[in-house]
Amino acid sequence: MSYLEIKELDKKYTAKGPLIVDKMNLSIDQGEFIVFLGPSGCGKTTTIRMIAGLEEVTGGDITIEGESILDKLPKDRGVSMIFQSYAIWPHFTVFENIAYPLKLQKIDKNEIRKRVEKAAQVTQIDNLLDRYPSQMSGGQRQRVAVSRAIVVNPKIFLMDEPLSNLDAKLRVSMRTDLRDIHDKLGTTSIFVTHDQSEAMSLADRIIIMNRGRIEQIGTPVEVYQQSATKFVAGFIGTPPTNFFEVTITEADKKLIATGGGVQLSLSKKDTERLSSYKGKTVDMGIRPEYLGIVPLDGHLENSFATARIDFIEQQGSHAILIATIGTNTVKIETSDFMNIKAKSEVQVFVKKEMVSFFDKETTLRI
Amino acid sequence: MDRLNIVQKTLMTLTLAFMVLVVVIPLLFFITVSFSSATDMTEFPKRLLPTRSVTVYIEPVEGDTYELFYDYGRGDGYTSIITTGVADRLETHFQRQYSVSVSGDKLLEDFSRTRIEGPMTFSYKKDAFYNFKQFFRIIPNAAPALKNSIIVSLYTILISLTLGSSAGYVIARYRFAGREQLNVALLIVRMFPTVGISIPMAVMLIKMGLFDTMLGLALLYSIPNIALTSWITSSIFIGINKEMEEAAWIFGASRVRTFINITLPLAFPAMAASSMYSFLTAWNDTISALILTNENQTLSLVVYKAIGTTSSGIQYAAAGSIVLILPALVFTFIIRKYIGQMWGGVEL
Repeated sequence: MSYLEIKELDKKYTAKGPLIVDKMNLSIDQGEFIVFLGPSGCGKTTTIRMIAGLEEVTGGDITIEGESILDKLPKDRGVSMIFQSYAIWPHFTVFENIAYPLKLQKIDKNEIRKRVEKAAQVTQIDNLLDRYPSQMSGGQRQRVAVSRAIVVNPKIFLMDEPLSNLDAKLRVSMRTDLRDIHDKLGTTSIFVTHDQSEAMSLADRIIIMNRGRIEQIGTPVEVYQQSATKFVAGFIGTPPTNFFEVTITEADKKLIATGGGVQLSLSKKDTERLSSYKGKTVDMGIRPEYLGIVPLDGHLENSFATARIDFIEQQGSHAILIATIGTNTVKIETSDFMNIKAKSEVQVFVKKEMVSFFDKETTLRI
Repeated sequence: MDRLNIVQKTLMTLTLAFMVLVVVIPLLFFITVSFSSATDMTEFPKRLLPTRSVTVYIEPVEGDTYELFYDYGRGDGYTSIITTGVADRLETHFQRQYSVSVSGDKLLEDFSRTRIEGPMTFSYKKDAFYNFKQFFRIIPNAAPALKNSIIVSLYTILISLTLGSSAGYVIARYRFAGREQLNVALLIVRMFPTVGISIPMAVMLIKMGLFDTMLGLALLYSIPNIALTSWITSSIFIGINKEMEEAAWIFGASRVRTFINITLPLAFPAMAASSMYSFLTAWNDTISALILTNENQTLSLVVYKAIGTTSSGIQYAAAGSIVLILPALVFTFIIRKYIGQMWGGVEL
C-alpha cells in the first residue's frame, strides 16, 4: 500500500474560477524522492501546499498512511517544508530557528540541543548556530531551512522550489547535498521545481504537470525517452524535441511520414503502431541528438531532409545547430561537424528507433 | 553624486546653519526662561544662558535691619530693593526674586558680618529647579495632570495598537470585498480634526459615563490613530514574507502563537513608529482635553491654562512646558532606531 495517496484532487481558488488542479491521482511510496515538474502556473506548488495544509482542498482526498489528512491542521500532518524564500525567521538565531519546532512540542531542553546539533551537522552549519540569518549567505540560510525541516523527523519532506533563489553554481552543489541527505535519512520527499535539470538529477520519479493535470509520471529516463505526450516531449530536454507535422502514407507495405520538407520511412515497430493512422496527420518528435548531418556531397543511405544551417551555438563538447528544414526550425546536436559554417546546406539523417509520434487530437504518444 | 564645489558647500552650510538657528534660538531662549529667576526675567537684554548664582550688596542699617541692593545690569549700578531684618521676609524675597533657597536665619547670620566688616556683596547659588518645583506648587493639579497625561497616552497607544495592527494585519493578509474601500475609509477618518468630533464625542462619552475620564479621552485620540496605525502596520505586514508565517504553522505553531512569536517581532518597527504617533497625539492635545475633561485635566491643558493665568511669572509656565516636552522627547529618542529601521528599509 502506498504511503501518500492523492485521490481525485481538485482545486479552485474562486468558486467560478478555473481548476488549478484537475482530478489529480497519485500514489507515492515510502522513501521515494518525487519531483513535481512543470511550467509556472501548472498547479505543482498548489498541490504541495494542499499536502502541507496551507491551501484548502476543493475536492478529492489526500491520505498519509491510509489516513485522510484533510481535516488536520498543518502542524498535525507530520510534514515539514522548505520554502522558496527559505522562510527562516530573521529575529531568531540559527539555533533558535532550528529549535523552535521542537520547543513547540515541549521537548526537554537537553534533548532539543542534541537534536538541533545533529540536524545542523547534517547540513554542515553546526559552527554557525549562534549567528543571525542576516549574517549568513543565501546558501547557508537554505541549509538552516533544511536543518529545521529535518529536525522534526517528518513523515514527508516538502520542498517548494528550494533552490531557485540560489546562484547557479550553488544550486548544483546544494541539490547534490539534498539528494545525499534524502538518501541518508530515507524520508519520503516531494520536491517542486520548474527546472528540468534539477528534476532529472534528483528524482526517483518525476511527475510532469501542465494546466493542473498530470501529463506523465515516470523515472527521469522514461519521461525523456518515452515522453507520454507532446507536451512532455517539448518540455523535457535542452534543447527540446523538434516537432514536424507529417502525413502518414503507405508505399511498398511500408509507412512513410512526409511533410514540411521531410521524408522518413518508419521503422518496423512504428509501422505497426501507426497502422491505423494511414492518411492522417500526426506530430513527429525527434530529439536534437537523434538528428545527424552529413555534407551535401556525402554518402547517405536514407536522407531525411536537406537543411540550411542558420546559427551555430557552441557548447564546447558539442554544438547545437539551428537549422531550417522546409518550414520548420529545428535544432540539431552534433559533435562530429562542430566547425561547420553557418548558411551552408547539409543532409540530415535520423536515428529511426528514436522517433516519437503524437496524436494530433489527444496529444498522446502513439 | 557629484561633489559640491566650494561655493555650493558654503551656501549649503549657511542654509543649514540658518535652519538650525531658527529652531535652536527660540528653544534655547525658552529653556533659559524656564531656569530664570524673577529678577532674571526683568533683565534686558535677556541672556541666552541662565545665571547660576545671584549677587546682592548688603548695607547694615540701624537696628537689626539691612538694606539690600541688586544690580540689574542696566548700567546704573546697584539699586535699593528692600530694607528688612525679618528672616521670613528675606527668605521669601530670595526665593521669589532670585530662586535662592536659603533659610532666613542663615541669611541674617551672613549679613551680620557687615556690621563688623562694613557693606559688602554676597553670592548665593541659585536653586536651578526652583521654577519646576514652583510650577507644581502654584498649580496644585499639575502633578495629577502629569499622571493623567501618562495614563491617557498609554491607553491611546494600547487601543490604537491593538485595533490598528489587527486591522492592518487583516488588510495585509486577507483578500475580501471592500478591502480597497476600507483602506481609503481609514484615510478619511484621519481627515477629521479631533476638535471637530469632540463635541459629538462629549455627548457620547457623557451617555457612556466616560466623560472626564482618561479612557474616554483616549477613545477620542484613538480614532485617528487606529487608522494611522493600520496604515503603517499593514504596509509592514505586506513586507513580511507570508512564508515565514506558513513555516511557523507547519512547524507546530497555532495562528495566535505565530502572530505573537513571528509576525509581531518582525513588525516591531512599525509598532514602535505608530505608537509614537499615538503617544504624541495624546500627549500634545489641548483642545479636546479642554472640551472632554472637567476635573481630570491633562498636563498640556494645565500648562496651557498656566500661561494664561499665572501672572506671577511666565517662567513657571515655561518650566511646565519643559516638563511637557521632556517625556515626548525621551519617548521619541528611545524608539528612533526602530523608526530608522522602518523607513531605512531593513531586510525582513
